[in-house]
This record gives sequence, C-alpha cells and structure tokens, in this order.
Amino acid sequence: MSDERFDVVVIGGGHNGSTIAAYLAKSGLSTCVLESRPECGGGQENTEVRPGFRIDPHATYLYGGAAPGFDQLELWKYGMRMVYYASMAGVATLDGQAANLGGRWRPDLGDAAIKRYSPNDLEGPGRIFDQLGEGPSRELLRALFWTPPFPEGAEIDPRDMPWWKVFRQYLPNLFFDELVDMSYVDFLDNFVQWDPLKVVGAFGAWYCGAHPDWEGMLLQSLGGTLLYSYASGAPRGGMHTYAHAIIRCAIANGARVMTNAPVGEIIVNNGRAVGVRLSDEAAFPEKTIWADKAVISGVDVKQTFLKLVGKGHLDPSFTQRVDDISLKGGSLFVMSVICRELPRYHNKEEYFPQDVYPSCVIAPADSFEYFRTQTRDAYSYKKPPELTPEHLTMMICTHDPYDSTRCPDGYHVLSPIYLEVPPPQYDVTGAQGINRHKEEITKAALGVLRQLAPNMTEGNIVDVFVNTPYDSEFRNAGMVGGNWYGIRQSEDQWFSNRPLPELSRYRTPIEGLYLCNQTSHPGGLCLMAVPYNLMHILIDDGIANPGSWWYPSPHYMKDLKPTASISRKTALETDVVK
Amino acid sequence: MSASKAGLEGVQPLRRKEEFKVEPLEHILDEFPIKSKYDVVIIGAGPNGLMAAAYLAKSGLKTIVLERRQEIGGGLATEETLFPGYYTNPHAFYHMMTDYMPIMSDFNLQDHGLYFVKPNTQTSAIFSDNSTLTLYNQHEDTKDSIAKFSANDARRFGKVMRSWRKIVSEIIAPGTYVPAMSPIDMIERFEQTEMGREVLRLSEMSPLEIVEENFEDDRVRALMLYVSCMWGLDPNESGLGFMVPLMIDRAMNKAQCYGGSHKLAGSLSREILKAGGTVLDNAQVQRIIVDNGQAKGVELYDGRVIEANVVLSSLPPPITFGSLIDQTMVPQEMAEAANLWEWDKWSFFTMSMATEKAPYYQCDDPSVNDALMVIMGFDTCQAVREHFAAAIAGEIPRNIGGHASVETRYDPTLPRIPGHHVSFFQIHAPYDVPGGWDEQGPILANELSALWKRSCPNLVDENIVMRSIETPVDIETRLTSMVRGSIKHGDYHPLQMGVFRPHDSCVAGRSPIEGLYLCGASSYPGGLVIGGPGYIAAGSVVEDLDVAKWWSPPQYVQRYSAQYMSS
Repeated sequence: MSDERFDVVVIGGGHNGSTIAAYLAKSGLSTCVLESRPECGGGQENTEVRPGFRIDPHATYLYGGAAPGFDQLELWKYGMRMVYYASMAGVATLDGQAANLGGRWRPDLGDAAIKRYSPNDLEGPGRIFDQLGEGPSRELLRALFWTPPFPEGAEIDPRDMPWWKVFRQYLPNLFFDELVDMSYVDFLDNFVQWDPLKVVGAFGAWYCGAHPDWEGMLLQSLGGTLLYSYASGAPRGGMHTYAHAIIRCAIANGARVMTNAPVGEIIVNNGRAVGVRLSDEAAFPEKTIWADKAVISGVDVKQTFLKLVGKGHLDPSFTQRVDDISLKGGSLFVMSVICRELPRYHNKEEYFPQDVYPSCVIAPADSFEYFRTQTRDAYSYKKPPELTPEHLTMMICTHDPYDSTRCPDGYHVLSPIYLEVPPPQYDVTGAQGINRHKEEITKAALGVLRQLAPNMTEGNIVDVFVNTPYDSEFRNAGMVGGNWYGIRQSEDQWFSNRPLPELSRYRTPIEGLYLCNQTSHPGGLCLMAVPYNLMHILIDDGIANPGSWWYPSPHYMKDLKPTASISRKTALETDVVK
Repeated sequence: MSASKAGLEGVQPLRRKEEFKVEPLEHILDEFPIKSKYDVVIIGAGPNGLMAAAYLAKSGLKTIVLERRQEIGGGLATEETLFPGYYTNPHAFYHMMTDYMPIMSDFNLQDHGLYFVKPNTQTSAIFSDNSTLTLYNQHEDTKDSIAKFSANDARRFGKVMRSWRKIVSEIIAPGTYVPAMSPIDMIERFEQTEMGREVLRLSEMSPLEIVEENFEDDRVRALMLYVSCMWGLDPNESGLGFMVPLMIDRAMNKAQCYGGSHKLAGSLSREILKAGGTVLDNAQVQRIIVDNGQAKGVELYDGRVIEANVVLSSLPPPITFGSLIDQTMVPQEMAEAANLWEWDKWSFFTMSMATEKAPYYQCDDPSVNDALMVIMGFDTCQAVREHFAAAIAGEIPRNIGGHASVETRYDPTLPRIPGHHVSFFQIHAPYDVPGGWDEQGPILANELSALWKRSCPNLVDENIVMRSIETPVDIETRLTSMVRGSIKHGDYHPLQMGVFRPHDSCVAGRSPIEGLYLCGASSYPGGLVIGGPGYIAAGSVVEDLDVAKWWSPPQYVQRYSAQYMSS
C-alpha cells in the first residue's frame, strides 16, 4: 500500500463530492473519495438521535427532481425511492389564521384555503408552476441550476441569460423587461395581497438560497419554489437514502470511498495539484494519495484555499478575495422536536387534517414586516438575534405522516424546524456566541410554537434536539458558517460570480484543482448540479470522457479563449516528487 | 427456565405507522422497481446478512440484501447518538474474532479502510481499594498482574491458558465456521483426542466451577467469572463450559474497529456493490413469499416485491417463522420451536458520555487507562454471582458494578471536536422493570455516574459535555430483531446451542422450508459478530444452487474438519 494513486481524488464525500465521483467512476476513471466523517452524504443526513427516531439536521426535501443525474447515474438501481406528499406547505399566523396550501398533487387544497383568506391571490405566483407544466418547468430549472456559468468575456444581455430565455419562451405574456432587475419582494409586492402568503413566498425563496430582498434575483428566488414544487416530496427514509444511492453508484462503478479520512493538505507541486495528504489519524495506512489527473475539492472555497492549499501557493490579493467572500444568508438554527401529537394549529384539527397534513408549515407569518425584522437581525454584524418571539418565523417540517420509517407508531418528529440566525463568524461576541444562547432561543421558539398550536405542551413534547450553525460547522466540516448553501447566494456571488469570477468555471489558480462544493454555482439544495456542471469543464479539459449516457446542458458555452488551466501539462511532466 | 419470555410472546408485531399515500400524477424520476427478480434475497443487513451477501454476490449470484433501518450493519453501528457531534458504537464496540473470521482473508477489506486496533492492555478490573487486575494480550504481562494477588494463580494462569489457547485455536474457533455437529458425533470424535476430551469435560461444568477449579484468589475469580459470563452465560449452568476458555481468551483478544464498528459493515457493503450486488435500506420485509412449500421471494412494507431463487433470513425464528410466513406454510415442529424460542436471559443498559477530557482512573496502575474495557464494582466472586443472579431474575443489578470503555482511547475519529472523548458504562439489565425504562433509565444513569466517578474523579459536571442512555427497550427499538433487547437473538443455553440453534431440523443454515435459509445470530454458532452463521449459510447456498464455491475454509478450519468431521 505504499503508492496510492488514482486518476482523480475527491476531497469530501458530501453529496457533491460523491456525485462527481459517481460521474467520473462511471466515465471509467479510477476515483477515490476521502470523507472525514464515519459516514458520507454531508448535509444529506438523517440521524437516529434517539432509538427509533430519525431527524434531519440539514437537508430535508428533494429539490433536485429535475436533475439529469438521476437518469445519467441510474440512481434507481441503487435504491432511490420517493415518497410524495399530498400537501407540501401550510401557513399559520398568531392571530388565528391557518391555510393548507397543498402542493403539486393537491392544488385544490391551496385553492380552497386562499379562497377563504384572500380570493384575489388565487392567480398569484404559486400559479407559475401550473402554467408551465412538467416539461417547461424542468427546462427552466435546468437553465437556472444545471447550466455551467458562462466563461470569462461572454457578453450576454441579461434578458438572454438561459433562465430568462426559457421563461420568455414559455411565458411570453408574463415577461416584461423590469423583471430582470427586480427582487422577489418587488414581485410579491406587485402580485400578492395577503401578507401570510407573501411571507411564505419570501421564506421559501430564502430557504432556497436567493434571499427575496436581493436585487436581480427574482427568477432565482422563484426557481427555489419551483424546485420545491417540482418533486413535491422526499426520498423514502429521508435525504440520507439519496446519499446512499449516489455513494453506492460510485462504488459499484469502481470508486474507492474512504470514510474517517480527513484531508490535511492538497499537495501542490509546480503550481499543480498532484495529490493530497491525509491527517495522521485517517483510517488509511498510506497518508499520501496521488492524483494523476485531478484533485477535486468537495470542501468549501474558503477552506480549500486558506487551509488545504495554503497561502504559500496563492497570491495575496486572491487570498484576500477568498477571505472576503460573504457567508451571510443561510445560517440555520435547527431544532428537532419529538412529540406525541402533531401541532394542532389554533386547536382546530380541520385546518390541517392528518391525511393532508402540510409537510412544512411556515409560521408565524402574520406580517411581512416581521419577516424583514428577523432578516435584518440575522444579517448584521452583531450579537445573537434579539428574541422578539413574533419575529421568529419558522419553517416547521414533518415527514412521518407520509413516511413511516421516520419514527415509531404513536409519535411524530418535527424535523427540521429552521430558524434564520446570524453566521457565527459575524457574531461580535465570538463564533460560539450562538451556542451560549442555544437554550434561550429554543425556549423562545417552542413558546411561539405553543402560541400557534396550544397542544405543543411540555407533556406532548418528548425530546428536543438542536444544532446551531456553530454545531453544524463542526459536524459538517464543509458547511462553513453553518450556512446550508455555504456562501451568500446574491447576484454578487451567483452564476459567473460564484464564488469569485475567476473560480466560477470550477477551475482554480492551481492547475488540476477543481471546485465541487455548494460554494460554487448553483449553491446548495442537494441538486447534483455542481458536479453536473463541473463535468462539462472536466470534459473540455480532457479529463473525463463519459459514454453515451452523458448529455450536456443545452446552454453550455465553451471557453472563448484558451485559459492557462486548459493547456495542462501532463501529470508525469510535473510530478517530480513521486 | 429463565426470566426471558418464551418465543412469540415477546415479539412485537411489525407495526408501522399509517402512511398517507399520494400517487404522483406525472413521472418525476426513476425509482427502484415495484417488482424485481434476484437469485438471492437476504433479509437483514447485519454482520451475518452482509457477510453472506458478500460471499454470494462474489459467487456471481444476483444478490440483494434488505435492511429495515436506514443504516446497514445491525449491531455494527457507529452513530451520532450524542447529538450534535459525537459518534459512538451503540452496539458492538469491540470485536472478538478478528483473528479468525474468514472474511478477513477472503476479502480485501483493508482496501476500504478497515483496520482493527488490538492493544496489549485489554481488560482491567478496579477493586474498591483502588487495586487493579489487568488481562493483557501478552500472557506474561497478565501473569505479572495476577501475581499482585496470588502467585499460585499467576502460575496456574500461565499453564491453563496454554491449554485453553490451543483449545480455542484448534477446536472452538474453527468449529465456529463449520456446520454444527450432532452431540453423538461430537462425543465420539472428541473422545479420540486429549484436547477433545478436555472440551467434553469442561462442557459438563458450569463457568463458576471452571473458574473455581483454576483460581484461588477471590478477586482473580471475580474477574474471570465476569468475563466468562458477561455476554450471556449463566455462572451456574453446566453444558456450555467449553465457552469459558473462549471467553477468557477473547477477553485478551479484543479488537476495536478504527473509525467505528460500522466500518466493517461499510467495507462488506462495498464488496457486495463491487461484485454487482444491491443493498437496499428502508426496506422492511413484510412477508416471505412461500409457495408450495418453497420460498419464492419477499414482499416489502411499501408493496415492492422481490422474487428470488433463495431467501436468507437473519432474523430470529419467532420473526422469520412466526410473523413473516403464512402459518399454514410453516412445518409443525419449526412452528413449535419458534414458539418456544427463548430470548437472551438479560439485556444491557448503557450510558454514554461525551467529555472534554477522557475519564481518568485513579488506581494503583495507570496502565488501566489504556485498557479497552474496565470492570468496576466487583471485589468478590460472590458479588459477580449476585450481579448475574439479579439480571437473570429480571432485576436491575443495582449498586454492584459493570464495565466501561473509553471509545476514543484507540479511535480519536469518533468526536467531531478533535481532542474530545466518548465513553460508555454498561451493565446487565432486564427488559422489564417496574415503572418502565422511561422512569428507571435516568435514575440508573445517575447511579452509574456516581459509581464511575468514584474510580474516575475527573468525571465532574464541567468535564461532561452531554450524556445519553440506551435501555433494553431502546436496543429493541433501534434493532427490532433484538427482541426484548436480546443482542444475540436468543439465549445461550444448552438447548439453544449447537445443532439446536435454532432447531435441529435446520442443518447448516438450511431451514425446513425449501429455498429458505437462516443466516443470523439465532443460528449456529450464535451472535456477537463472530461471523459464523452468515459464512455457513453462504456455503450451503452455493452448494445447493450448484455454483462454484470460490472460497475455501482457512487452514485452521480445514485441519479441524479433517480431524473431527471427516468420515
């Protein structure tokens, strides 16, 4: 075992790392995945924190239904199964309202509820999915998420960006030029009257990455909701089953997937990444692993350069730019509550009958201003959020009405309950600040929950588990800032700007080193999109040569001029240390 | 016979919550098919199910292994039970047969990062005066430790272990990987060698008699009796005495899986996948399809049907024959055997802790802090007897003692905060307790904390990050095949061992239903991740399906077969 050598070494066995490994192994490359934890999957995890009870500490729904990966990697062979939900979403307010919004399979539920509270909103943005239908929705989603960012120098009219092109093609009557510069909030202000519905839209957008207040991100915000509506369900058993399918696909195609194998360093020789060095405690005898063709970092952009490559190989202006990448926006305070009864909002079972119980309830959603207050709280450099309980808009998810594997009979699991909080790094009392307020925030949130659903008493609640963004960061090394999409997903850090313009095509200043983490386009959500997009680049760089099962994005644009990293030297020429 | 309830009485019906189904109106993504066909379907992806699957998949048979839970491995679990951030091994923490299991040489498991750490300092006992006795892997080291208490016992240990080590390596260990012999054959064959005669003699003795025969010091006897019985032998019961040399020898041969016990499961599943096999989780089997006396496949709880030429079940007989098969298809004697099946005579209560600093034992010998396991609370052989008597009687053996391990001593990868530690303290405990475990669990955890702190004064509140408990009910909830917390799927007593495990109509893993094989801990030779049942059943399947057997038994097993089994 003295000379471990692969074509490609992938750092990190999260879903992005595992997926690119599956793609490359299926392309016939010898591939090795190195994961620091005992289990792969990254944010696609379910944890049996209490015997028989499974929680979702991070990802919870299948947003990636439109991913080419399901088909290209044939994940069905490796156990992929879905559970579809009658109702994906509901909304409740503190002043006694509650609406079951249904979802793709039961639009009638939402229609009935909205008719009751705000008949004018029936033709609101929720209708966009219905208007588009299956095929065009997939096309729009693929334009937004499954399209590699355009190369440097490409000059495109914003109206001709792939997503607007598809939008204009299928919904010509809905398009007007101002949309391109709008934020989602502008759009909601124009089209939605009932505040709770606006909060749902805004919260949904935020939860899908593109914050509703960010300019020029309207379609990205809306795209999140479309992603959510597209599959309208979750993998059977939870998101980790999805991870299992990906990992098993990689292994069945010959990849070596090593757990308990934290990487300490990317070995750079003559400006080229030639392998990695594992930490001393890695469960592998040979701690140096050579990569003949590429090192792919499934780790976030900051740690990839600042920790694994090291400043010794980077120019200081680049290092500073990496250091300055904004982490704001997706830091989550996640609660999981085990209870005997599902929350009965305002004590009325008829709001959410169990057979159509909304899998995700956004509450309290009384006023759009509350939502904004919470956002301001979470985005400034400050101490932990001021706990004005009515501002704690939560996303309260449950799967067990539709998926019996999650907990035993007679119980329910509310997991995750997401709360938006500041990134630990920007807490003026230190990164651990949020953890000092863990109990206080939990108590406030449970208090709000009880105001909404009076049956959520101490007697009903069996157990509560919490992971703060600080916890998430040490649990999942790549989840920098405890941010579920890694780094801010604003226009300044999206598409050709994500994570930095010169890194947006997944290549790096280090030859042979590629990025494959949610800090690259299009961000989080377990879409298998970062690896799909990266494949285009690896094919162009002569590294991957997939079979006929591969199909590229119709919007893919090749490099306009040869870049330094395209004129690759061969591994043998540079690899003098071996 | 014992406090464990008989067979079917203890089986919880395989009850699932009601699911509200929604049929998607449009095609979203391809899923695992509603109906599929395999050569081999294996129920349960515990150690034995995975081992059988690995052998059979590599034989070229189209193999699928089904797991009810989301994670495969069964007792080979490494999970974040101390949430957030600390992994533990809630079931099998160490492995006792790594030097014998055929999978270790038949597969290249190290390719997947499977490494076992077998430290020299193995099992220690701490007595109330802070003196200690340690079993090391190296016998002379152990003799040095015993000599602190009795020079005679040290000498005697040296002599008897020489004999026992041979018994283990030449008879007991190889016997683990071949089908059970009938008692008559066994007596006839074993009578022919001196070692065989010693095995027969020991078998007729109780663990207590064997320990008393060999050791005179009460503290030495206490430790030897504890390690002999801790995984399920009654100190006073004769008939299984041959297991005493094994358990004592193995108490000096514990190995910890680096990266967690789940790594063994993960490595086996990688072998299965590489060989073209399928691993399906969240796949609880609702029914074994038996048609015309022949097993034809299984039906899952979500309605999926998997047809197969052979079905292997790693579940205990009351589940396999009592709830998964149409009762009219189960042969009368097998149905009766399932009904009379006895669960383990005791279960376990475990308290796990995440700490900033490792628990530090203050005692006469700091090397105790290197031990894989530390036994506390037993100054006399009588105390050990009372402890097990209480557990057998269905009582919590209170204020007596138990065993503890610092899991991070040899595996620093378990906590996500580098430098932190996870440890556990475990005692034998009954399934039923007055007031239920919800009430008793936290009380007992506090008592164990106090006991532990007496030996480890640094287990103060400031050092403890968090604590969790796993009761016998939790064991059953997490792993439903461990009915009533039976980690071995059924008691070790003479009528449930050897050819009688699970029943003498089942030979070499073949059940009386054609096409249905048994490959779990309830089959010969038993549980505790020794790898016998899966290995034996895989051998029978390839033989019956007339598939080339690509593996051959290890040398030491072949020698045993030639000596004791060939006709």
